[in-house]
Parts: sequence; structure tokens; C-alpha cells
Amino acid sequence: MTIIEAHNIRKSYGSLEVLHDVDLLVEEGEILGLIGPSGSGKSTLLRLLDLIEPANAGELSVFGIDTVTDRGTWLDLRRRMGMLFQRPVVFNASVYDNVAMGMRYRGAPRDEIERKVKEALEAVGLSRYIKSRALDLSGGEQQRVALSRVLVTDPEILFLDEPTANLDPTSTATIEEIVTRLNREAGTTVLISTHDLAQGQRLAHRVGVMIEGTIAQTGPSREIFREPKSQRIARFVGVQNIVPGRVVAQREGLTVVEAQGKEIFSATSPPADEVEMIVRGEDISLHRRKPGYEEAENLFPATVTAIEPTAPFVNVAVHCECDLVALVTARRAETLGLEIGMEVWVSLQAKAVHLIPQAGR
Amino acid sequence: MKINATHLAAGIITILLILALCAGCTSPAPGGNETPAGTATTAPAGGGNVLRIATTTSLENTGLLAELERVYEEETGMDLQFIAQGTGQSIDSGRRGDVDLVLVHAPDLEQQFIDDGFGINPRCIAYNYYIIVGPESDPAGIANMTPVEAFRTIYAAGTNETAGVAFVSRGDNSGTHTQEQVLWEQAGYDYDTEILDAGAWYVEAGKGMGDTLILANEQQAYTLSDEGTYLSFADRLDLAPVVAEGAELLNRYSAIAVNPAQHPGVNAEGAADFINWLTTNETKQMIGEFGAEEFGKPLFTPLYAPECTEPPFNCTCTGEVAG
Amino acid sequence: MNGNPIIEGFVEAIELIITLDPQVVEITIRSLYVSLTATFFAALIALPLGALIYFYEFRGKHAVVSTLQTLYALPTVIVGLIVFLLLSNVGPFGFLRFLYTPGGMIAAQTVLIIPLLMGLTVSALSGIDRDKRYTITALGASRLQTVMTIIAEARFAVMSGVLLGFGRAIAEVGTVMIVGGNIRGATRVLTTAIALNTSMANYSLSIALGIILLAVALGVNIALSLVQRR
Repeated sequence: MTIIEAHNIRKSYGSLEVLHDVDLLVEEGEILGLIGPSGSGKSTLLRLLDLIEPANAGELSVFGIDTVTDRGTWLDLRRRMGMLFQRPVVFNASVYDNVAMGMRYRGAPRDEIERKVKEALEAVGLSRYIKSRALDLSGGEQQRVALSRVLVTDPEILFLDEPTANLDPTSTATIEEIVTRLNREAGTTVLISTHDLAQGQRLAHRVGVMIEGTIAQTGPSREIFREPKSQRIARFVGVQNIVPGRVVAQREGLTVVEAQGKEIFSATSPPADEVEMIVRGEDISLHRRKPGYEEAENLFPATVTAIEPTAPFVNVAVHCECDLVALVTARRAETLGLEIGMEVWVSLQAKAVHLIPQAGR
Repeated sequence: MKINATHLAAGIITILLILALCAGCTSPAPGGNETPAGTATTAPAGGGNVLRIATTTSLENTGLLAELERVYEEETGMDLQFIAQGTGQSIDSGRRGDVDLVLVHAPDLEQQFIDDGFGINPRCIAYNYYIIVGPESDPAGIANMTPVEAFRTIYAAGTNETAGVAFVSRGDNSGTHTQEQVLWEQAGYDYDTEILDAGAWYVEAGKGMGDTLILANEQQAYTLSDEGTYLSFADRLDLAPVVAEGAELLNRYSAIAVNPAQHPGVNAEGAADFINWLTTNETKQMIGEFGAEEFGKPLFTPLYAPECTEPPFNCTCTGEVAG
Repeated sequence: MNGNPIIEGFVEAIELIITLDPQVVEITIRSLYVSLTATFFAALIALPLGALIYFYEFRGKHAVVSTLQTLYALPTVIVGLIVFLLLSNVGPFGFLRFLYTPGGMIAAQTVLIIPLLMGLTVSALSGIDRDKRYTITALGASRLQTVMTIIAEARFAVMSGVLLGFGRAIAEVGTVMIVGGNIRGATRVLTTAIALNTSMANYSLSIALGIILLAVALGVNIALSLVQRR
């Protein structure tokens, strides 16, 4: 069942347009990751979906209820959802009172509040701070308080806006674990925005990429990472090689692309004549000598032009008429004995070469 | 929802405002007894047991008023409240009915006050002399001159920018200031056109007598002071009386009640009682002795009948005043 | 007068304070009474109004807030003059007979610090950042619950505003001199007593009262920093 349905959402603050043409469907019980650079509108979108503020235009239904025509339902709908913000927000009161806030707003009975607050603090490992002043806790602890505060209200949809940015690894792990368990056991729908690609991949069933105020692509994370729809998405998801080229032929079900005189095979059917080849660095293998058994469709010699360690990996730039960057593990780089000017063999499977039309041509 | 909150907030504010007003009205309610803690038990003017008197700083600064207040309050239980202003301002307070009685020293202003129907039952109480005080070195050389000559000499020296010659004026429309203006006029100058902008040597203090003396002392300038205030300040001053003789320097104080026909709220009965008390021989004796011990000579000379009804005083100083 | 008047004044001042000189005690108590009462009434009026300004969007809101901020520096003598004219026997509120009474002084100081308290209430509430407001909304607060939560959260900032207002009230001389008349035993407070005694060259009493006034100001500052540390 579709739990959130948004069409053509637009939002501006004064003359600054933050969101435009946002379309989004969220299924009940899924974890949707929103990734995108800062300023791409992730936080604003989450606030609009949580009905904290209204959009300037567009359609939005939550739980199947149209929120645009009937603003009177907002409070009730909002009370079925919860949101955790990037910056830990705690109020100048005890940890207990902080966690109890949402339930008090809902007029929950005192004994129920007490039971659930204690349970929730137990779950985030903060029971011993129940009477402390929330402002005295560390950032990570405050964020766990904030999470408990949301969880005691049993949200059906949980919005997490970069919840672990700048948190210590322990707090991050606790929060991730709770969120996954909540989704698995209670079937809570989760929307999490993050600029941590790994976190997005780790938690989300499906990922949406936001670029410049709109959702540019949605799909399983593998698809987003390997087959980005545009150069900008490719850059954002960390593709090292975006090489312009021209489709010259189609051979044995493969597309042949010529880039600076070099012919490279791709498994993608040609989207246009002028294309960009999208190749992730980790899909490029380097060898000291020509491998005899290599199954990769692309195999050619090249010269190492630069070596840049980014522990625990090493970015290796090679030149072979066209320039490519390969990502190898530090150990592998050592085994290969890489040095600048050295001759290596490059192998690259055709299905690791994704083609998109060249932008602006 | 928005409307509910609006109404609620408006309601709360209205209640608070009403509470504030109620509390504000009740807190300074007239209290029966004098409370030394000074909490708000002051009755407004017109209350039966408070008498509000606008008076001059020259009287306040001598300490005479505190002495009168102590004795009178002890005898009658009436709460005397002295508000020290300049004579001009004091008479204005009387005109508005903000006080019950004025105790002042500017015959012309007093006459105006009475002629306009605001002041009744004027009684002369006491007198002393104004003196021209200045640095011992007397840079303008006015010693032994008559007051009018002295003013002319100061004017000449001041406008010639003679070193060390300056004159500090009260500049506050007080009785002393009025007297100073009279002296300038007698010396042949128009106060507003010739004196006020006469140059840097003419300094307007805009303050009470004590402050003006202190200012004159700091600047080593001449000033016109009443004798009482000068004597009570003399030990802190490096100024000497330079000219102290002359009928022009006569300074007499009178008490005038505010006319209840103009301001029905004033404590007319209390004012009459106080004036009657002031004109008793016992009180006059007390005034006549005030300061003798501390300053070596009395600060004021009380006026007894019949001398006050003859020139130069020409005012009533006895006679029962009806409340 | 022999010796240094300042040193002598100090010695006498300390004596006056230590021996709890009745005049000093009386003036101090009256000062505290007048300014505390004024602060109380000003808070009663200004805090709800400040909250109203903060929570309601209306045309000219920005202008109202900047006007309030301008009025922080409202000259005390101007307030004194206005209140004097209003309370004078021939003024519109003359019938109250408030002129030259502590009640009149309380009214004047209340008027004096209302803009300050309103403005500081607005800024105290504005100090609640956007994330907190989003969080309150996201937690499912109704509009009234939102208002109450924000006020509760800003309570310490509002309290510092009130303390600042009290500090301004007790330290000012302009309004109490004009409206109170500096009547001994009735409307003489710390500041007017200092002014009068200085003009009478009674430096020791002035210094004693000055020390007390400074101590009150210091107390207010200590309270402020305690509140702001919360």
C-alpha cells in the first residue's frame, strides 16, 4: 500500500526555490533513503512530508488522506508520524520530561507515559540518565534522547533527517540498529536522509537521489550506484570515471564506444550517439602482465600516471589513450608494486561500463 | 485552532491587566501610621494627615526643614512632606494643586500667585540676606561695593575677559535666581538680552543652591547665595562673602496656602494649621536659633510683628489663619 | 572639614551601613519596594504582550519590534515628564492623587521598563531556534501546546529580561525624582537620595547609599549570570 504520495511539490522561501517538481511514492513498511548533496532540499522535503510546514504547490497525501484540501487533519496525521532532526534537539528539562513530551501532547495517561519512557530509555541505553538535565548530555546521548522521544509515540512513519551526522560511532550504531529493528518488527515506514552513501546503502531498501531541489532518480541502491541516470548523480554517488565518447558500432550484443581513439565495450544499449561512459573505479582491475584467463571484454595496456592513497584504498590514474582512474585496495597496490610510469594491464567488464547520453549536446 | 489560541491569549492578557490595575490602585493606599520602613503608606495630597509643601532648595539644603518637620510631626502627628524645587517651580506646583502649601522667597512671584487667586493667607516667616560670594582673591575687586556696583563691576570684568572672573547663576527660576535678575536690572542691564549671552564668564548652573555653591567653588567664581545655605556649606567651600551689605540683598521667606476654591482636593485645614504654627512665637524662636550652634551665627532672622508690616518687609507675619 | 572628604566619606559610609542607620535602611527598603513592584507590574503587562507579538504574524510586526528596541533607551526624564504631566492634579489622571507618592513612582518605572521587558520577551522567545520549533511541531503539539512549550523553554531568558528591567528601574533617577519629588520619608529612594545628599555635600551618606546601590546592581548581575548559565 502506498503510504505517502507526492506530486509536483514546490517550495520556496521568499525568492529562494528549495524544491520543485518533486514526485515521490513511498510504500508502507519500506525504508527509503534520501541521498544528495547538502542544500539539495532533503530536509525541507522531509518537513513537508511530516506536515511541519506546507508546500507552495503540489499534491500530497499521507495515509491515503489528501492533505492539501483539508488542513484540519494535519495535527492528527502528524501525530501518527515522527521525525528526528540532524542536530540533536533537547529541551531545558530532565531527560524523562524530554522523552515524555510527545505523549503528553497526545494526552496519554501518566502511568503509560512512565512505562514507555522507561522502556524507551532502556532501549537506547540511557536509563541511568532519566533524571539528568538533558542539556548536560553529550551530542550522541542527546540524539538518543530525541530518538526515544519520537519512538514512545509509536509513529507509523518515521522521518530521520541526517540523524547520525556528526555523531560518535556508538550512538550511530545504536540508532541504526533501533531503526532497522523498528522497521522489521513493527513494520514502521522509514524515510531517512543522509549524505553518507554507505549508510544509505546499509539501511535503505530503496534510495532516492536529490539534486538541486528535486528527486533525480529512485531505485535500489545497487542501481543508483552502478547506473546513475545523469552525470551529476554519477558524481554524487562517487563514480571516478565519467568519460565522454561516441557510439561507433554494436557488436555481439555489446555497444562499442570510441573515446579519444580508444574503443571500449559496454553492455548498455546505446542511449544516444554522443554518450558518457560511467565506470566505477572499483570495477577496473589492474594487472602486472596480461592475464591469460581474463573474461573481461575490455583488456588493454596502460601507463600509471598518478597514485593517490585514500585509506584503505588507493586511487590509481592510468593512461591508455584515454584517462581512467581505478580503485584498488592498498594491499593490492602493494602486491602490484605500483609506481608512476609503470606499464600495467587494465581489465574492465562490459557490464561495468554504463552509458548515458551526453548532457547539453 | 488559531482562533482558539487568540481568544485564550487575549483573555489571559485582559485578566492580567485588570489584576495589575487593581493591585496598582490598592498598593499606595493611605496608611494610618507613619511607617519607618517607608512602604507605600503615603496619602495623596488632600489626605487628612499628610501636608505636602513645595519649597526651595535653599531652605532644604540648610537643614531647617528637617528640623521643623521633626518638631511639627512630633507635636501634631501630621506627616509633613517637603518637595524641594526652585521657587518658580514650587509656585507652579501650587498653581496645579499638586501641593497644599508653598514655602518660598520671591516677592514678585508670590504676589502674582496670590493675585491670580491660587495662593491664600500669605505669611512672612523669616529673613536673612543674600550675599555675593567669590574667591578670597576677589579678582574683580568688588569688596565693599554696593551690590549693584558689584554687579556692574563683575559685568565689566567679565566682558573684558579679565582673568579669573566668572559668575555662576542658579539659572533655575528659583527665588535666588529671581533676586539675581532683579540685581542685574537694577544695575542697568536687560537680563534676557545682555546677561544671558554675555559670554563664557556667565555660567548657568540650572541647579539648587548647594550644587551652585559647589560649582562656583570648583570654578572659583562669584555667585549670589542666600546666607543660610552659604553658612551651612561654608566649611566645605573655599569661597568668601565678598559683598554682604545692602537693602537690595534682603531675602525673606513666606508661607502661602493653596486656595482650596481652586483645588478642592488640597489639605487646606492642614495648611492653615501649619501656617499658624509657623507664626507662633515658639516656632519663630526656634527658627531664630537654628544653626547658631553649628555655624556660629543663626541662619535666619524670624519676623515678629509689627516690624514685618512696615517697609522694607511690608507683609503680614501674624494673625490666625482659618482653615 | 579636615582630612580627605572622600576617605572620610567612605569610613562614615561603612559605619552607616554596618550600624544599619535607620535612614539608610528606610531608603534602601523603599527603593527595593518601588522597583520590585514596578518590575512585577511591568512583567504582568509586558510578558503576555511580548508573547503575543512573537506568536502572531501581523503587518508592521518588524516595526513594532524595532520601536520597542528603540524604547529600551527611553530617557528616564522623558518618562518622568510624561508621567508627571499625566499624574499632576490638572492632568488626566490627577484624580488618582498619585503624584509625589510611591504609587506614582511605581507607575512611572512600570511605564519605563515595559518596552524593555516586551522587547526582551520577544527576543527570548525568538532565541528558541527553528529546530526546536520544528521538533515541537513534529512531536504533535497543538498550537496552544506549541506556545506553552516555547514559553516554558524560554523561561530563563525571559527571567533575565525581567532582572535587567529591575536593574534599570532601581538604578534610574530621572522618573523618581520628577514624579516622586524626593520627599524625605515618603518618596526618597537610593538614587534621589544620592543626588540630594551630594548637592548638600553630605558625601558620606551619598557614598553609603551608592555602595548599597552598587551591591543591588551586583546582586542583579549575579542572579543574571546564574539564570543565564541554565
